[in-house]
Amino acid sequence: MQPAIEVQGLYKSFPTGFFKPPREVLQGLDLEVAAGSIFGVLGPNGAGKTTLISILTTVLLPDRGRAAVLGLDVVEDAARLRERINLAASSARFLWTLTVEECLRFYGRLYGLGGRVLADKVEELLHLFRLTTHRRTKFESLSTGLKQRLALAKALINTPELLFLDEPTSGLDPEMARHTQEEILRLNRDTGLTILLTTHNLREAEMLCSGVTFLKDGRLLATGTIPELQARLGLGDRLSLTFKNGVPPLDYQRLPGVLSAEVRDSQVLLVLDRVETRLALLLEEITRQSPHPPEVRVKEADLEELYREITH
Amino acid sequence: MKLPTELNKIWAFATRSLLVNRRNVFAVFEMLFWPLIGILSVGLLTRFLRLEADIVTFVLIGAVSMNVIQIAQLDLSYSLLYDVWSKSLKHTFIAPISLTHVLVGAGLVGLLRGFLVFLVMGLLSMWLFDMDLSRPGLPGLLIFLLGLFLNAAIIGMSVLALVLRFGHRSEVAAWSFSYLLFLLCGLYYPVTILPAGLREVAQFVPLTHFLDYFRHFYGFPLLSPRPLVYGFGQSVIYLGLGYLLLRWTLAGALRRGTILKLSE
Repeated sequence: MQPAIEVQGLYKSFPTGFFKPPREVLQGLDLEVAAGSIFGVLGPNGAGKTTLISILTTVLLPDRGRAAVLGLDVVEDAARLRERINLAASSARFLWTLTVEECLRFYGRLYGLGGRVLADKVEELLHLFRLTTHRRTKFESLSTGLKQRLALAKALINTPELLFLDEPTSGLDPEMARHTQEEILRLNRDTGLTILLTTHNLREAEMLCSGVTFLKDGRLLATGTIPELQARLGLGDRLSLTFKNGVPPLDYQRLPGVLSAEVRDSQVLLVLDRVETRLALLLEEITRQSPHPPEVRVKEADLEELYREITH
Repeated sequence: MKLPTELNKIWAFATRSLLVNRRNVFAVFEMLFWPLIGILSVGLLTRFLRLEADIVTFVLIGAVSMNVIQIAQLDLSYSLLYDVWSKSLKHTFIAPISLTHVLVGAGLVGLLRGFLVFLVMGLLSMWLFDMDLSRPGLPGLLIFLLGLFLNAAIIGMSVLALVLRFGHRSEVAAWSFSYLLFLLCGLYYPVTILPAGLREVAQFVPLTHFLDYFRHFYGFPLLSPRPLVYGFGQSVIYLGLGYLLLRWTLAGALRRGTILKLSE
């Protein structure tokens, strides 16, 4: 199956003024995103996330390298590609004087929709994003959350095959953020829509993304699924076992799923790839050696840790 | 390329422009107040100077032309400025549209508004200052109006190119450019009174020739033997060059990241 996004040796720099060297924003990026997946691009501010998305959405030309989205070159086939993608950016901004419905109609028409097809699509999106009661509210009068919902609705107006979401839940209240995340998952599940999103919310990436890439100073530091990256960096769920009658003599390092092991007095500290799938077997193995069950404490791995480890 | 799809894209810019104009009290102000002030101040000045009827007509044609062009070009200039002001430019260019959709869509509204201004100013000129608009006949009138709209399109495209190149700070400079053209084309006076050098430059402004054409119906001698050939010929060349310039500035904006900067 052809990847939804293929990036090879992508460079982009911006001029900083006369006699000053250009600012290198992307420095030889290689990336591949599988069709039908939700893929996250993570990184600190200034890492190059927005520049990458802008190139992939054809509103910025790269200096060098090649990028293809849905098999179409972002430079050569930009016009055809634009029909099949869309974007919802953080801090949604549209023309202040248009109402929610007019805004959707305007963008729908930009994609060539009209008549009954446009009317039905607008109704569907108003309903989907709970905007029906706000349809006649002008954009300037909407709350931040409603603006963000409208941005998401607009991003689906052309029924895209690939959706770019630039911090999709930024500014939303927790309930709306959860609803949006569920909606993103539902869209991906029900329609097979490929989604590339940037986020600062690491929990969100963990919840939504099947694969992530970490970007810093225009370079990709690591790419893969979250468990893969955990394993590669030796990061995982932390399991602490405390034995009252001494630590049973076992080669903990060789137990299945153990990434690292350390024995301290009456305590064994293990790092596991996935605690929920390994714990039962692990305890079974230990109780074979010791009749007294240990006190168990679990700290699940989080992406914060992964992020810190990769970006520093 | 499917025609209904293309028409919907054009219609997007036209309807947006109409909606903004309908909601914005200043847009109505722009369409009625300034033309009214223009025609009254120029008309009353001609009264004060006790000018002959044909000279009054000469001057009023200039006043009407300036207002029609200014209003008609505004819609073209605003077509992307709406996106710049609302910081939504990237959403417009992420969509599969071309500059033609923007120009035709917004241009249609400019045409409509320009025509309304022409009606208002023409009727006021007839009513208050006895100007005879029927003398050139309908074909003459329509040809002249078309000439004015072509000039508006040239100015509007230049503004758009400047906005895409330098951002919205360039708006004022762009509109100042239109006043320079009005100075050159002999809006209130024949170009023959311009200093040598400028007189020759005026021959390269299409509006000079359209004014020349229209005024000859009122007894003023033609300054060039074929004003329409020059007027339309130059307009077509400038529109073609303007379109190429716009495409070039858009490509530059995509390379430099101007569209992103204007969306932040």
